Formats: sequence, C-alpha cells, structure tokens
Amino acid sequence: MATGRAAQVVTRQVRPILSVSHNEARSRALALYKAWYRQIPHIVNEIDIPKSTKQCREKLREEFAKHKDVKDVRVIDMLIIKGQMELKETVQKWKQVGHVMNYWKETVNKKPTDFLSKFLEGKD
Amino acid sequence: MLRAPIHRALSLPNLRQLSPALRGISSSPVQLEKIEVFVDDKPVLVEPGTTVLQAAAMVGVEIPRFCYHERLAVAGNCRMCLVEVEKSPKPVAACAMPVMKGWRIKTNSDMTKKAREGVMEFLLVNHPLDCPICDQGGECDLQDQSMAFGSDRSRFTDIAFSGKRAVEDKDVGPLIKTVMTRCIHCTRCIRFASEVAGVDDFGTTGRGSDMQVGTYVEKMFLSELSGNVIDLCPVGALTSKPYAFTARPWETRKTESVDVLDALGSNIVVSTRTGEVLRILPRLNEDINEEWLSDKSRFACDGLKRQRLVAPMLKNEKGELVSVEWEDALISIAKAILNAGNQTAAVAGGLADAESLIALKDLLNRLGSEALCTEHTFPQDGSGTDLRSSYLLNNKIAGIEDADLILLIGTNPRFEAPLLNARIRKTWIHKECDVALLGPKVDLSFEYEHLGDDTATLNKLASGQHQFNKKLAAAKKPMIILGGQQFGRQDAAAILAAVQQLAQSLSASVNDKEWKILNVLQQVASQVAALDIGYKPGVSEIRENPPKVLFLLGADEGTITRADLPKDCFVVYQGHHGDQGASMADAILPGATYTEKQGTYVNTEGRAQQTLAAVTPPGLARIDWKIIRALSEVVGEPLPYDDLNAIRQRLTEVAPHLTRYGAAEDANYFAQAAQLSKSVKTQLASTPLDVKLKELQDFYMTDAISRASPTMAKCVQAVLKQKSSKY
Repeated sequence: MATGRAAQVVTRQVRPILSVSHNEARSRALALYKAWYRQIPHIVNEIDIPKSTKQCREKLREEFAKHKDVKDVRVIDMLIIKGQMELKETVQKWKQVGHVMNYWKETVNKKPTDFLSKFLEGKD
Repeated sequence: MLRAPIHRALSLPNLRQLSPALRGISSSPVQLEKIEVFVDDKPVLVEPGTTVLQAAAMVGVEIPRFCYHERLAVAGNCRMCLVEVEKSPKPVAACAMPVMKGWRIKTNSDMTKKAREGVMEFLLVNHPLDCPICDQGGECDLQDQSMAFGSDRSRFTDIAFSGKRAVEDKDVGPLIKTVMTRCIHCTRCIRFASEVAGVDDFGTTGRGSDMQVGTYVEKMFLSELSGNVIDLCPVGALTSKPYAFTARPWETRKTESVDVLDALGSNIVVSTRTGEVLRILPRLNEDINEEWLSDKSRFACDGLKRQRLVAPMLKNEKGELVSVEWEDALISIAKAILNAGNQTAAVAGGLADAESLIALKDLLNRLGSEALCTEHTFPQDGSGTDLRSSYLLNNKIAGIEDADLILLIGTNPRFEAPLLNARIRKTWIHKECDVALLGPKVDLSFEYEHLGDDTATLNKLASGQHQFNKKLAAAKKPMIILGGQQFGRQDAAAILAAVQQLAQSLSASVNDKEWKILNVLQQVASQVAALDIGYKPGVSEIRENPPKVLFLLGADEGTITRADLPKDCFVVYQGHHGDQGASMADAILPGATYTEKQGTYVNTEGRAQQTLAAVTPPGLARIDWKIIRALSEVVGEPLPYDDLNAIRQRLTEVAPHLTRYGAAEDANYFAQAAQLSKSVKTQLASTPLDVKLKELQDFYMTDAISRASPTMAKCVQAVLKQKSSKY
C-alpha cells in the first residue's frame, strides 16, 4: 500500500509554472538578462548610485551566475519571476538608492571565520 | 545518642532493606519471603516491613505527604498520607504503617479523599494566606497539595476576628530565613539536623497549637549542611536568606551542572535569570551527594559576581595594572613567552577545568617546557603519580556505606568534604561501622576513636604494633581515608608510604577483591584531572628553576610568591577573580567561572563530570581553554583544536576516562605502589599531623569564589559571634 503510494508520487507529473521544457526556461532567462542589460545604462543615469554601467553589468552577471547550477525548471521560473519583479521595482523607482546598493552589500560586516578573529570578537 | 533508638524505632536490620529501590546499592543478605498486597486493586509483591507508602510507590501511585522523607526517619505526624485499607475501620498513615499480607489499599476512595481534605483543612486553618509574598510560592508542597487534594470550598471564617495562630520568627543564622507562622510542624528540619547534619539543636517546644519548632534559646544553626533544610521544608517556613524576594521558580532558567568548590563534584542545578546566577540547588546523584549540598557550594554563588576580572590587563610603566584590548594583552604576553622560550612555567590552581589544563600543557610542551605544576602537592618518591590508585578515593563515596571500619588520617572530612562526612555519619548511624581518627581532635558530628595526632602512631600502625591494628585486622571491610592536605608536609612521602603499607597489609584479610582500602581525599576539584593529564604536583620545581615567564592558571593559594621568582620574571594570571594570583601578575587574562563554561572536572573518586554554561562570562572575559588557544596562535604555535569537540577529542587521546562523563574509572596496582613505597627514604617528621579546617568558621572561605562571597563572609562573622555567646 505504502510502496504503491510512494511510486505514485515519483511518477506524478509536476505541473509547470511557466515553462514546460528546459529550453523554454533558458530562453526566458536569457530574455530577462537582456532586459536588465539594456536597462542598466538608464538605471545608472536615473538613480544616483556611485556605480558605473560596467560595475552594474558585472553585478548582473554575478547575480545570474549565483544560480547557474539550478536544474529544476520550476525553480528557474520562480527566479525569473523574481528577477522581473526586481527589474520593474528598479525601473519604476519603487526602489530607493539604498535598495539598489543593497546588491553590493557594502555595509555588511563579514562574520569572523577563523578561531582568533572569532575569539577577539567574542563570538563563537 | 541517636544511634540505638533509630534501630529500635524501625525494628529492622538496617535502613537499606527498608527501601532497596531507593537506596541504590542493594545487597540484602537475608532474603525474606515476599508478601502480596493490592494497591488500587493492582497486586504487588513486597518485602515484609515495607510501608504502605512504599508499596504504593512501587506500582506508581504517589501518596501525598508532608512529614515523610525517604532519607529521614519516619515521623508520621502530618497525617497527610492517610489512606483507606479495606476492612480497617480507620484510615492508616501510609508512611508509618507496614503492610500486611493481602491488604487492599485504596488510595483514591471516598474515605481517603475525605481524610485528606480534613487534614488539609486543619493545616490551612493555621497557615497564613501570604503566598503572594512567600518565597516558597511556586515550589510549595502545601500550595500544590491543597490544589490537588484539598477541599474546593472553605469553612474558615474568622468570626471573632481573633486571627490565625502566629509564631515569632527565629534567627538561625545568615543563611536561613524563618517565618515560623508558616510552619506546619512536619519536623523534617529537626530530623535532618539530628540525623544527617548531626547537630541536635532543633526541636519542638510546647504542645497542641502552642507547639513551636526552634532551637529553644536563640541560636545559630551551626552546621555545614544547614542549607538543606530549606529544600526539605515543604512550606515557606525555612527559606534562603540570600535568595529572599529574588525570583519565582518559573522565571528562572535551570542548568544542570557540577560543583567545584570541593573535590567531591556534587551535582547541582544553577538557577539563572537575565544572565545572573540567582541560586544553586542540589541535584540528585546517589553516588556522590545524594540530594544534599554543602553550604559553601550552595551559598557561595554570590561570589561569582564580585571581584571579577572583566577585561584583560597589563602593567604600565608606573607598575599599575590597566585594562587593555585582547589583542594588546595577547601580543605582549606572546612577546614575553617567545622571549622566554622553554623557560616558561605554569601553575594550575584548584578550580581549573581539564580543557584548559590540557590546552596549557600542549602549549608549553610545544614551546619546549615541561614545567607544569599544580598548586597542591603530592609526593613524587616511590610510585609518585604514576599509579592512579595512589591519589584517588578508590573505594568511591557510595562505597563508604559498606565499610565496617573507617580510619581517617590527617583529615577533617566534615569541612574538607561535608558530603563525604555525611556519608560516613550515615553509615555510622545505620550500620555497624566504627570510625577512628589520626590527626587533630575535631568535631566530626559523630563519635570516633581518637588515635592522637602523632606521626609515631602512624609508624606504629604501619608496622602493626599499635593496639588499633587488631581492630583493623578484624575488620571485614576497612577503609583508610588519607587527607590530601598532608601532602603539603615535608615528610609527605613517608606518610603516604606508611599508609600504603598499612593498607597493603590489611588487603590480605579482605575477602572482597573489589574492595579498596586505600583512599585519598583530595582538596580541590582540579587536582585529579591535572595529575591524570600529567601535571607535576607541587611548585618546588618552579622554585628550583625560576622561569622567565610564569603562567598562573587560576592559582590563588599563594604557593608561589614574587619572592620566589627573579625580578624580571613576567607573571601572567588567567582566572576569574581578582585574588592572590592576580595581585602579583604583570598581565591578566579574564577567564570564566564554573557556571560560565562547559568544562570537565574529575572528582576525588576519579569520576569525570562536566559543568554546563548557565550564563555568559562577564565583560570581556572568555572561556579559559579558548584564551590559551588564542594565545597559542599569537605565539605562533597554534594548537590543533578550534571547538569543544576537538579539544575533548584531544582529552580522550590523552586519557580516555576524562570524557566518559558520569563514570568513575577504577584505579589499580595497589600492591605495586606499596612495594615501590618501601624505597622511600624520607623519614616521618615529629611534627604532629594537622589540618587547616578545624572549626566551622574555617570552612566558609577557602577559594577565590567563596572568598569573594559576601554571604560566606557573613557566615564567618555569625559563627564567631555564636561561638562567643553563652549558648
């Protein structure tokens, strides 16, 4: 009984979010990348951030590269949707300077990793 | 004295047979035929002489009680444990009534319930309704049982407005607060004082509603175990004075830990709130402290927040210690250590945990130094510390209960290890056990044969010429307990050798091969672990080869002073209290106390136990082994462990028993040690055996924590005042 149900779960078809195949997801991701890429000069122009177009494009590439190993189509779709939302928020200026700058996380202090710095900070 | 009446009152061979399940070791020689009784229609087979209450406990029915306590004699005066027995016209007091064959006990019948309601009503008629301002609130037996077993409505109306019975409060010292109006006359405190503590000061005066529990004349409760009556008191009549109006039990966080203020390693529960230790209570451990705790362990906890070192310190050019950052402190110490190289030495004090001991040893060994010493000495002649059996309480604390003759040499267990003394007293009362003492005449709270304090007597004993040798030879299970303080003497090796030879000569006549005659009572919590790890006992080596850098790991006894060291010697003190060690230091590293770190301690039996961190170290203070680990990195010899598991792995590598928590590792090779002791050249000196802690006032302040405790200081004052009073 139990094994039958387990087999059912395994063979069940997953319902797609947007894309039905990996290729479709790939083209969506590329489209999102292009959209960001083309928008970045305008963003740099309109929002007062201490970053150049080049730096922003590096960051864009970095953000995409973070998810390079994602294989699940549904996860890719979800990330694309989130990326689109981010883009819209930036373009519409719903994001303020701080929110945009948050991509670089310049003000975040790194947690100590080695024993001595952990000891001196008093953190275990 | 107390001894005979208890035997008669119980009319049993011994107390252990009364409740084999409750007393741990059960080796009842006489197997009596069991009888069957029924508790709430559940059949149970019990030994004759078992009380109704114990029979009920066996089937998991707990009968409410106030006066009954499993470790005290039965009083049977609170009547709360009344239960119905079928075909009996009256309910019976379960705690005092032995069961008879075929009895059907009903613990939940109408008659039982009515009896309980009646008893509760009578108790509450004269009990004040001051629960909101009572310190027992939340952990009060009367509160709990009136909710569970009391009537649901009150008939008490004070028509005449005469008020409830009121009793004057007693002053029994700086530890126990009394509100005698709350007393329900269970007499637990009286029985504890006379049976366990051996101080027969408490009693009752008056009759009926005029009855009062007290000392008759106003008098301090002069006992090293007095705090236990606070736990025993089922109501708020006896509460803790230092803890008064501090917290409710449900507000506090409880951490199970181990006490380190004596060498026994009593199990404790540390109650904390908002990062502060509020009180310390005993935790049940049949092998060590049963459910008692000595006053020092219980009340010295306010010393944990006084005199603390909260920041690293360095001496400036004016010679004053000033607070610095950790980096600065570590770098200057590392510089000094690198300068000294293998001329670095270390002294470990009595409160050091095994983790910091091993870290310090590893660090110094890496620097090429072997000069690691403990403050407390041990003779190195003969087998020295090579054979573990020479420095352990081999027969275990619980083993005392099987002894039939105990010889104490150069020790006053009453103040060196109060719970060990309580065990001896328990054995002395309930069993056929005799005690003899070689050393200064002190009050041990029980009678003993005093053999004098002369070392010549020890010589005679060892050679078998003393008249006491006959008694020793006749004993089936003799125990010799040697006080660790005697190792501080010049002729320590000779004393140990004499005792080892005496023990060895007796071992032939002992049938039980597991029985260990030779026992050493250590003075401090860290000593056994330090010797197991490989520290050298005593600081004589440092005196002979003065180092360039001296590292004091919580060494506060002043065994090494500035006068013993060359002028340019750099002294580092790592520890938690600004005591003797810190006052002579050039650099101070603030460490953690036993309530602030997870540390391993090995007690005098060789039992490894760990403390758990209840609060965080104050200020910039850090956990001790981590300080040494950090220092090692700055010195450039990083130790290969970064977390607790890794350092415990290292401990296991050195001595596997150090991480077998709760288990006491047996030691062996008594015969070989005795053989080697014959090569000892030292002669016994003529100075009589002496102990440091003779009277109660000496007991309270013995280490950095208790010396910083205001409560302990108050105790010393109160005891001196009481001793000068005419009562």
